[in-house]
Amino acid sequence: MTSSQAAPAAVKILIAGGFGVGKTTMVGAVSEVAPLRTEEYLTSASVGVDDLAGIDQKDTTTVALDFGRITVSPELVVYLFGTPGQERFWFMWNDLVNGALGGVVIADTRRLETSFASIDFFESRGIPFVVAINCFHGHNTRTAVEIRAALDLDPDVPLLIGDVRERPFGRDVLLALVDHLMTLSVSEGEAAPEAVPEPVPAG
Amino acid sequence: MTPYWDEEAEEDGAGSMVRPYTITRGRTVPERDDFSLITVLTTVQDPRDEHGAPVRPGRHTLQPEHRAILERCRHPAAVAEVAADLDLPVSVTKILLADLVAHGLLLARAPLSVARASGGADLGLLAAVRDGLRRL
Repeated sequence: MTSSQAAPAAVKILIAGGFGVGKTTMVGAVSEVAPLRTEEYLTSASVGVDDLAGIDQKDTTTVALDFGRITVSPELVVYLFGTPGQERFWFMWNDLVNGALGGVVIADTRRLETSFASIDFFESRGIPFVVAINCFHGHNTRTAVEIRAALDLDPDVPLLIGDVRERPFGRDVLLALVDHLMTLSVSEGEAAPEAVPEPVPAG
Repeated sequence: MTPYWDEEAEEDGAGSMVRPYTITRGRTVPERDDFSLITVLTTVQDPRDEHGAPVRPGRHTLQPEHRAILERCRHPAAVAEVAADLDLPVSVTKILLADLVAHGLLLARAPLSVARASGGADLGLLAAVRDGLRRL
């Protein structure tokens, strides 16, 4: 019997974007294992019933997600979770979004609108993100400036254009996210050097 | 064309012969609710109780799925990985994992805190992630 292994620490990054935009493809391109799939039951008991209107008549619905892993060091593993295509499910699934290091929104220039909801979601939850324009169809005819305007992106949100099937591009997207997180971390530290914790009201 | 029992199987979902919550003996909520998708689990090699006596769960204590988890987690694995490997929904997997932690057979490591409210991820962690990604 081998000696007991120490558990590595884990962090996660969310890979979001509209249906069929290349989320699982990107996970697979950078993951050290073939993307794994798991399922979760989401019940209407955890949300307003209106949220399920038009989705399913049942009280319970099953949502699948694909994920991969990158072992950064023996002590640290990064998990990449491709989010379900329908963002309305995310609100039912706090476990998926809570504690995420950051996010990647993948978008396709031919149908940018399918990624609006992902951007809105990350912005509303205060989760830092970068945008990866996937042009594996080779049909990108728009400039970064045009895309930024179309997505109404904040100027400081990094935007990369490439092919998510290729590991170097996926790696660069993740590196851009980490650099973005470092920049935010430093600037927030400078902005509030003497921040005094405010008392939190009970309840 | 489609026999009636296939329709029933479809309603059960998951394509399994066993309803998932049968494995948990009807429980739908774990004993503890602090497992996340990336809580990392490791099988305890030589489990002992609080008195230092070896823990030997009886054959009726553990389901086959419990034993499969203990086998899988000889190498540390996240909740999502265990669920994927066992082909069980995450919520069912969490119930089984909580059983094993309660028996002292499994160790759980919570994910690193990166909550924005508590200052976000620290620069040391981010630098480690960046260095690892550069080796991809």
